[in-house]
Amino acid sequence: MTYVLRQPNLSRREFGLLAGTAGLAMGFAPGLTRRALADEAANAAKIIAGKSPDMIVHNAKLGVMETPLALLRKYPHTPKEILFNRLHFPVDGERKWTATTAAPDFKDWTILVDGLVQRSRQVTLADLMTMDQVKRVSVMQCAGNGRSYYAAKSKAPGGQWKHGGMGNIEWEGVPLRPLLDDLKLAASSEAVWLTANGRDDPPEREATDFAKSYHIDDPALDNAILALKMNGEPIPASHGGPVRLIIPGYYGNMNVKYVTNLLLDAAQSPSAFQSKAYRFPNHPVEPGKFTVADYTTSNSRPTYGFQIMSVIFSPLAEDTVKHGTVEIAGVAWNDGTAPITSVEVSTDGGASWRDAMIEKPESPWAWHHWKLPAKLAKGTTDIMCRATDAFGRTQPLDGTARWQPKGYEWNGVDRVTVTVT
Amino acid sequence: MKHPLTAALCLALATGWMTEAAAGSRIELPEGPNRDLVYGKCRTCHDLQYVKDSAGLDQYSWGGLLDSMKDFGLKLTDQQRSEILGYLATYLGPNPPPAAPSADQPQMAGGEVDGATVFNEQCSSCHQPNGQGVPANFPPLAGNRDLFSDRLFPAYVLLNGLEGKITVDDHHFDGVMPPFDHLSDAEIAAVINYVRGAWTNAQLADETFAALEASDVANVRAKTMTASEVHAYREAHLD
Repeated sequence: MTYVLRQPNLSRREFGLLAGTAGLAMGFAPGLTRRALADEAANAAKIIAGKSPDMIVHNAKLGVMETPLALLRKYPHTPKEILFNRLHFPVDGERKWTATTAAPDFKDWTILVDGLVQRSRQVTLADLMTMDQVKRVSVMQCAGNGRSYYAAKSKAPGGQWKHGGMGNIEWEGVPLRPLLDDLKLAASSEAVWLTANGRDDPPEREATDFAKSYHIDDPALDNAILALKMNGEPIPASHGGPVRLIIPGYYGNMNVKYVTNLLLDAAQSPSAFQSKAYRFPNHPVEPGKFTVADYTTSNSRPTYGFQIMSVIFSPLAEDTVKHGTVEIAGVAWNDGTAPITSVEVSTDGGASWRDAMIEKPESPWAWHHWKLPAKLAKGTTDIMCRATDAFGRTQPLDGTARWQPKGYEWNGVDRVTVTVT
Repeated sequence: MKHPLTAALCLALATGWMTEAAAGSRIELPEGPNRDLVYGKCRTCHDLQYVKDSAGLDQYSWGGLLDSMKDFGLKLTDQQRSEILGYLATYLGPNPPPAAPSADQPQMAGGEVDGATVFNEQCSSCHQPNGQGVPANFPPLAGNRDLFSDRLFPAYVLLNGLEGKITVDDHHFDGVMPPFDHLSDAEIAAVINYVRGAWTNAQLADETFAALEASDVANVRAKTMTASEVHAYREAHLD
């Protein structure tokens, strides 16, 4: 569904022509020229050069847009033209270079590796290109993906994502831990936190910069790479080129774009994007008792690893579905630390469930394609899917059970209502 | 309650008019007291779609959200916080009343508009209270000769926005300034006259312009211009 605002837009030319002297007379009375102004439709292709105009825009100034599922399901690796996008600072001003899917051209790109170390190092893009590269196929997903569904309990403010804030990507780059070892930093034993910072800066002088911190012993860093390529090409500017820290299985915000600094320190970054934003409460919270201003580093933890999740790709509500045997299909994924053992599918609104067939995934962190043929009779049918992994993690039947005011980490059982003819 | 002429005009308009969409598409919020303050304070770092899409939150939730913006650079006086929260919790709350025309603003009483107040409420988030702007992000207004290149030019900018590369005193900017046409003719005239006389700007003018009147602004408002066309106008009138 394209997000287009269909309201009459009173342009000034039309106003002048139709209003005549009476209209202009309104302008002569101080304080009375407030017209009913109307919205202008946002066009994704004009916000980020190279993006499909079919993208659903959530915030043009920040380049935030998601992919309609009918488009997302077509490609095993999500092309840059349709991969969801989300930037933390405006796409104009000094960050205008990020408003394109073309790769940026920074020949002298340098990453400063510093902190509580005996030796700080500068690693250039040219250095990285000479090192051994590995590929990681992994889901890229916004922590806010699915936020709109929390509204069934209480709306969570911000971009009202459906399921299209995710994609499946082949990243390629230099493994992080071996690189840090090779640099011979001789880090202090107190340097237990790694913080990544990127080239982007906020437009306001007193606004927090964006930085993310991970404990140096976090096992997820074992799979992390400093990525140089996305789907075989240099990483688009909008997706974090020329170098992006990719931690497979971690929500999008953790995968810091346009990395310029890797800091080894005794504490986490004081960036509000680390200490207050992108956090999940440690205990259940209720609307009316906890707001987005109440997050602390004690009562919450960062949105690190993906919650186990599955999505129905076919049939979608907009598809024409003929009665008889229909192939129900979709994808599932988790944080990659335990294999997904089942995807159960129901076509009777949850009364009964059958195991779908799961294809061998490209990697523990990639989309797991599943499918199940089912006999559907004429009428309205509720199709649901629910993934479970070897660690016993599964999806709640009602995803609002994990409600929190930021609306992160949605992983409720997916439900699609189709009309079968 | 809509002005009868506005209602007739809306009726007369059958088709939507798709103007040039820039980064930062145009989003309008329901009319109500202090909506303009939301426009002035809440478009610096994101556009208003987040605000519009969050409609339905209660006052408690809006309050928490507003307070959390401090870390991201939002600066409000207690009075402004109270006014913005009052607007959001009402017109974007769980039970919004019918839209109220924003025409009855306290500053309208008596007819005199204070340009400094308009500047503080609408312009300072980007251009900063001292008019210095932010390098590579928002051009300065203090010492900015663009203010005097053409008598009406600032009115074109405020009514239509400005986008495209500009250079101010050897500093480069490539941003998007949204339209401020939610402001009245009198407010726009007052804030331009204020900025032209603020800081040391009075010394910048080679010739003295007559102060803008609301009627001057009304004439500019009657013309159609996109933010890119305003950029071309600026280029044509540079000294």
